[in-house]
Amino acid sequence: MTVLDLSGVDVRFGGNQVLSGVDMQAAAGFTGLIGPNGAGKTTVFNAVTGYVRPTAGQIRIGGQPVPPGGPVPVARLGVRRTFQTPRLVGELDVLSNVLTGLDSELTRGHGLLEFLGISRRARAARSRAVELLGAFGLADAAGEPVANLPLGSQKIVEVARALASRPSLVLLDEPAAGLSAADVDRLVEPLAEIGRADGLAVVVIEHDLEVVSRLCPRVAVLHFGRILTEGPPAQVVAHPDVVTAYLGASVAAVHP
Amino acid sequence: MTHLPWFSTRRLLGGLIAVVAALLLLGLPGLVNSYQLFLACLVMTMATAGLGLVLIMGWSGQIVLAQAGFMGVGAYGTTSLVALGLPWPLAVLLAGLVAALIGVAIGLPATRLRGFYLAIATLAFAELMLRIFIEAEPITGGIAGLVVTPVVLGNLDVGGSRWYLCLGLAAVTALAVWRIGRSGLGRRLRAVRDADVAVGSLAISATRAKLLAFALSAFIGALAGAAYAQVLTYLTPHIFGLTLLIELLIVAFLGGVSYVGGPFLGAVVVIGLRELLQDIGSWQRLAFGLVLALVVGFLPRGLASLRSRIGAARRRRADTSTATPQARDVTAGVAS
Ligand SMILES: Nc1ncnc2c1ncn2[C@@H]1O[C@H](COP(=O)(O)OP(=O)(O)O)[C@@H](O)[C@H]1O
Ligand SMILES: [Mg+2]
Repeated sequence: MTVLDLSGVDVRFGGNQVLSGVDMQAAAGFTGLIGPNGAGKTTVFNAVTGYVRPTAGQIRIGGQPVPPGGPVPVARLGVRRTFQTPRLVGELDVLSNVLTGLDSELTRGHGLLEFLGISRRARAARSRAVELLGAFGLADAAGEPVANLPLGSQKIVEVARALASRPSLVLLDEPAAGLSAADVDRLVEPLAEIGRADGLAVVVIEHDLEVVSRLCPRVAVLHFGRILTEGPPAQVVAHPDVVTAYLGASVAAVHP
Repeated sequence: MTHLPWFSTRRLLGGLIAVVAALLLLGLPGLVNSYQLFLACLVMTMATAGLGLVLIMGWSGQIVLAQAGFMGVGAYGTTSLVALGLPWPLAVLLAGLVAALIGVAIGLPATRLRGFYLAIATLAFAELMLRIFIEAEPITGGIAGLVVTPVVLGNLDVGGSRWYLCLGLAAVTALAVWRIGRSGLGRRLRAVRDADVAVGSLAISATRAKLLAFALSAFIGALAGAAYAQVLTYLTPHIFGLTLLIELLIVAFLGGVSYVGGPFLGAVVVIGLRELLQDIGSWQRLAFGLVLALVVGFLPRGLASLRSRIGAARRRRADTSTATPQARDVTAGVAS
């Protein structure tokens, strides 16, 4: 079943048309979104999560049109995302950072119980966060201020925060960028496992094609704000338009 | 690593120090003279007001320059409600609620402002409150002033009652603020400050979190004001002016505006300075302004941060590996 459905989405900033008629679907499981720098990949995420409003087209999440009013109402539909550069709370420890992914559930009516230390929901949130940190091999760092962690671990913490509330749709913006090979393994395996177990729909923007093919049975390619092609990774990267897009305009000029 | 075993010499030592400190504080009226007890009351009062600033300035990162005004609301509100016949605790609670409402009213436009503009806007509201203290003569006595009815607890004398009142308020407030810091609200406030762009994507409403911070810090300011009235015994509007505001900022920032212990450290220094500087008259405000500038300039995270900074430096020396310090993110606007 389709969880995310974009049809004919345009985004324009002033005179700059960043997305043009983007059609894209994502169902439960992993979907890759690849394309050269500046293609508009992050803008797709921003449009889905309410950070920018499309100038045309329709975005549906779980069959419903994206609600107006910015990121909060979209997130309430069970959508979570990460950012190309991690946006964590440096002063808080790792566990608390993951808990911020669950705090919206504690807000309504449970703030006072939590303050008094008697909220069952707060305890459940904590054990969910601990469980996720365990899965990503960060249990030992739980009490460490997140600012003290290397970038690779910070990116993994942000992924854990996005998964914490068991969302239905997760958008990961270059989760493996800047990660060591060991960190990539630490990220990819638990991510695939949790994605399967929770039945998540996950869209992954990623430059590392090995990561993409490990996670995603299907990939969409974005180039200059248009979807070039879509399909299994091996097939997509062999597509002549994709080869041209990645090799750049010089090749295109020789082979028009 | 942060978990100590339930029994360790460090824990034992910490516990011993806490017990001795608690005994000293509880027995203070018998240990010092009445003037020193008065100073100790001032320390507790200033620290309480500073705890409100930990919430709003330390955690939510908003520059709000109205805390002296909220102390005024608490002081005048409580005193006049008691004069109407309300018991003191109920009067404090009501005055606190009024301050919280004013806090939200200031916060509503302020959630659209940041940094310098927010500071100026809240300062304007503080001036307005001061103006109202002067003009609302039937309630506040205007510039002529208002006599405060002292609260007497059980068979204690006035000085002793005042001390336990100030100590109790400071202790309860510190405990509450500490709990908030470790709860969802504390996390949300810090996320609003440090991960501005991300909070919306976590279904956290930054506006709501900021308004709660405004209400709570104003409420705490009013609590401190009610105690301050007891300590001063006589209120005039100018008590709640710029000098008090600057002192409160020193209280909050000197100790470290993110730490619950910070305002206590800051309050000791400020009340100490008041004593040292009392002979220089109107130069006092200049001196406090200078101290504030020095603190914010050279020690923006306060004395309490020295310990963790020294710890971090030691750790860095021990392990010069890959830690990337994360800069405070102040970029607004669209996510990337
Ligand atoms: N908020 C914005 N305002 C103006 N231009 C933007 C904005 N966000 C993105 N862009 C532009 O849109 C283009 C695509 O950006 P982006 O979506 O970040 O690409 P990608 O993630 O594929 O590298 C870039 O040229 C960028 O400058
Ligand atoms: Mg991008």
